[in-house]
Amino acid sequence: MSTLTAARPSLRRFRWLPSVRFAVAVLAVVAFLAVFGGAVAPHDPLLQDPDLALRGPSPAHPFGTDYLGRDVFSRLLAGTGTTVAAALQSVGVGLALGVLPGLASLWLGRGVEWMLLRAVDAVMTLPFIVFAIAVTGVLGNGLTQAMVAIGVLFAPLFFRVTRAAGLSLTRAQYVEAAELFGASRWRILRTHVWGKVVPTVAVTAAQATGGALLAVSSLTFLGIGVQPPAPTWGGVLASELGFLAQQPWAPVIPAALIMLAVAALNALADAIRPGGAA
Amino acid sequence: MSSSLTRRSFLGLGAAAGTATLLAACGDGTVAAPGAAGGTLKWGWSSVTSWDPVTSSAGWDVHLLSLVYAGLTKLDEQGNAVPALATGWKYDSAGTTLTFTLRPGLKFSDGTALDAAAVKKSLERGRDLPKSLVAAQLANVKAVTAPDATTVVLGLAEPDYQIPNLLAGKTGMIVSPAAIDADAAALATKPVGAGPFTLTSYVQNAKAVLTRNPDYWDAANIKLGGFEAYPLPEPATVVAALQSGQYDVAQIPGSQVEAAKAAGLQVQVIPSLVVAVLDVNITKKPFDDPKVTEALRYAVDRAALLKTAQFDHGEVAYQPFPKGYAGYSNSLEGIYQYDPGKAKQLLAQSSYGTSPVEVVITTAKAEGVPEQLQSQLNAAGFKATIEVIPQAQATQLVYVQHSKALFVDQFAGRDSAVQAFQVLFGKEGLMNPGRQTPQELVDALAKVSRTPLDDPSYPSVLQAATAIAVKSMPNVFLYSVPRILARRAGVSAIPGFTAVQRFEGVTVS
Amino acid sequence: MTTLLSRPPDLVQPVPAAAPDAPRPRRSRRWIGTLATPVVVFVFSSLLTFGLGALSPSNPAAAVLGETATPADIARMNHEFGLDRPLPVQYLDWLFSALQGDLGRSYFTTIPVADSIFAALPVDLALAGLAVLLAVLIGGAAGIAAALRQGSRLDRAVTAVASGLGTLPPFVLGIGLIVIFAVLLKALPAGGYVPLEQGAGAWLRFAILPALALSLDIAASIARQLRTSLVGQLGENYVTGAVVRGLGARRVLFRHALRNAIGPALTVLGMGVPMVLGGAVVTEKIFNLPGLAQLTLQASSQHDIPLIQGTLLVTVTVVLICNTLVNVAVLRLTPQGRR
Repeated sequence: MSTLTAARPSLRRFRWLPSVRFAVAVLAVVAFLAVFGGAVAPHDPLLQDPDLALRGPSPAHPFGTDYLGRDVFSRLLAGTGTTVAAALQSVGVGLALGVLPGLASLWLGRGVEWMLLRAVDAVMTLPFIVFAIAVTGVLGNGLTQAMVAIGVLFAPLFFRVTRAAGLSLTRAQYVEAAELFGASRWRILRTHVWGKVVPTVAVTAAQATGGALLAVSSLTFLGIGVQPPAPTWGGVLASELGFLAQQPWAPVIPAALIMLAVAALNALADAIRPGGAA
Repeated sequence: MSSSLTRRSFLGLGAAAGTATLLAACGDGTVAAPGAAGGTLKWGWSSVTSWDPVTSSAGWDVHLLSLVYAGLTKLDEQGNAVPALATGWKYDSAGTTLTFTLRPGLKFSDGTALDAAAVKKSLERGRDLPKSLVAAQLANVKAVTAPDATTVVLGLAEPDYQIPNLLAGKTGMIVSPAAIDADAAALATKPVGAGPFTLTSYVQNAKAVLTRNPDYWDAANIKLGGFEAYPLPEPATVVAALQSGQYDVAQIPGSQVEAAKAAGLQVQVIPSLVVAVLDVNITKKPFDDPKVTEALRYAVDRAALLKTAQFDHGEVAYQPFPKGYAGYSNSLEGIYQYDPGKAKQLLAQSSYGTSPVEVVITTAKAEGVPEQLQSQLNAAGFKATIEVIPQAQATQLVYVQHSKALFVDQFAGRDSAVQAFQVLFGKEGLMNPGRQTPQELVDALAKVSRTPLDDPSYPSVLQAATAIAVKSMPNVFLYSVPRILARRAGVSAIPGFTAVQRFEGVTVS
Repeated sequence: MTTLLSRPPDLVQPVPAAAPDAPRPRRSRRWIGTLATPVVVFVFSSLLTFGLGALSPSNPAAAVLGETATPADIARMNHEFGLDRPLPVQYLDWLFSALQGDLGRSYFTTIPVADSIFAALPVDLALAGLAVLLAVLIGGAAGIAAALRQGSRLDRAVTAVASGLGTLPPFVLGIGLIVIFAVLLKALPAGGYVPLEQGAGAWLRFAILPALALSLDIAASIARQLRTSLVGQLGENYVTGAVVRGLGARRVLFRHALRNAIGPALTVLGMGVPMVLGGAVVTEKIFNLPGLAQLTLQASSQHDIPLIQGTLLVTVTVVLICNTLVNVAVLRLTPQGRR
């Protein structure tokens, strides 16, 4: 547990390593496409031309066409927004359900702490995809339901990192001193704790976003949470895999895109965390 | 067990597939001696919802169930009822009393006798059990009597010459009364029938192992020593699974036909009674306006859908029956040829005028046909959105509550033409969510029921009913869905039965 | 990577093995906590699982009975499944039946849920066991090798591969393995399963690819975790001292450094079990394995609530047992735990 305090990230240590520059560049492009992807796409991502179905790359369609003759390049560009939004949605739910209870567990007394810890343990026993499937089975097969389920399972993660970061502070001398001087709990939380907790949470959020991207694509592959014809990265990948016989190279492109984004998020998190980027 | 066979043994170097196979290791194409067992066939097919024919809820179950159960009749490759457990049958002149004569000495796989009393009990259970999903089809059967051990008499409320066809399917599968009395709930996993095979072990969604039933009435034509059924994998890996010997025969999607042929597999495209169809509810907006319903028929480019869905395997369909079937009406060919201009015109004449007509396409799987349908409808002046619901909910929302306006569906076909009409167009029909049937069609159908199948006028009577149905009912037929089977080189050709896949004469080496 | 789904290896890093209760209690109390906590957690989890089913808006009776349903039929079926009782009664009844091995019957097939689950569970357990073994072997070897040759080409390669594996969507790895080993090399079957009882060799032929698919990203996180903590330990004074005093390098590594470094890696392993079971959905689907996850997927598409609840409860129980075992191992193996 002593490693926990040592692993407490600090934004001051952030260095512009080549991997970080690469990661930031990738994420900047992804962010741009998430907002403007639909606008810069050369074709209508929904425009079908069954006569042109499953064609290889050409000047008009650099990544070829899919089973309905739609331009894969445009679908990937336009699908960025939905994909990123879904990932962020689950991370948002995780943050909301994890961070505040994490802090609450430190200051609201042993009873609350015990209850919260057990609840977190219980949620952590739920296997990710199985739970998401069960939730969509019960509450309806939508992307939102699936991502909320994933978000609920992220909550323990945020809970524990928040708690771990905060725990070291509750025993830090300057916090005790502040308490002695009669500073209010809220003030301590705001001025001292929050500044220490945010970087930790940021690292976790970056990686959780990567994890969520993978989870969305897995769920899409299983036919869960999908809303065709709207494109998503995972959706393009899953559908290309069904036509391996016709176009064995086609799944490589969306898979590479997902890998690149996840790798960038991981690299960024590594850079913020000391020792992680070694 | 043969599932543990190494790949090498599939190549014929060491065939020790279960005990039965040791008896006859017949080479490719040679016909095994009658009664000899020719290997174990591993079949890739969707899992059954239940092994009890009365509570099985999926259309595709019939293929696996028919391995275990036999009926009084069966259908030949042309779809005509021919003798099975019964050697023959006779209607009285009014068409309301039907007398079957059973083969003597029949036995269920549990050793109990399959006599007239057993048939009576099994059919009555299908008709009367509250949970029965075949009850509606037997509603016309007023009384079943067993005057002697080999005679079964069905008393009908209305004349109906379709009963022998009807009983060739799930509805007529005869279940052992001893098993019903012992533990009827157990039938879901431990079926007891008198079919060509006996289920020896079953793991839900994983594996069904069956061995040859030597007491089957037609055992001489069953060359296989055993059967193993496995659920199907992803389309992306089905060909690899066949190549690596995980299956001997598997159903493959149209997209994999070329890959299967390239991999050296034999591919058979067997015409079936299955047809893709749109269920349209004329009590829901926008289809409460007849002009909109009519526009829908012209707004659909069936050929393009067929290409996407099945890579052109199958045929464009405007009616529920495939070409060559008695009920297929030539007059309907091309009747609703794709014409987006005409669809637009019809919409403009509707109460919606020239504004886009909003419609929700409900489906269990949006990829492919529903996406393409959306694009086609939008091109014809609709404004379509897709709603995805799980298959199980679809049953409830579409078939029970009739709350969806447009559902992308498949009709599995029925053993009897009248039964098919009832499901598609009948007032209580599953795929008639609007719950309305024009009197003209009711009368035409009654005439079909009253016409003996061997009457020379039967085809024309049935075709007249088909034409009335297609013109008066809102269902939009899209394309036929053949059964595409890929098989390894050592498996002999699979007979092409349109309704129920059977395996008479099939061998595996 | 199937496992990676949403919990990338690094996410695990800052999380301690047991809940960081401060101040550290005495050893006997920690043992009681290690063994009693799972019971409490089980009750919480069972409430979650049951609540999920109770929240369901669909009426199972109507879904099962199909087009022939009448209101009387639905009422009869609700009564048959005990759905007309108050929720707390249903929960307690369900929980206590579950503890006696009765998880109810499937709405659709009327097959006892416990039968279906216990036909499927051995597949997952055998597979998860093999996957964990592979993960420990591959991840352990790679992590130790990388730490011993810190900064070398090997070290960089291990780090790169481990990072890369964590970014791959799980189903891509599964299908990739099939393409390589079944289609191109024709060395292994593309899918399917043979139970362990029918011979270890036959089982291994079918189990090795899915187990590999499941294990690689736990292996990656173990490698990264072990490398980081081992590098830290090897830089400690006691290691330098031991080497100076002439203790063999092997002895120092295995008896001292590894022992101190193994805690976090064990924790990763403990968290790997739910990841394996969670990731198994995709792997089972791709390799067409008759496991628990396929059952959940099917139950979910049919709204078969007893089956959904049953599979979740059993999965949770397996995870809890594994976590408890790992916590016990951490207590026994690591010096901090024995102190």
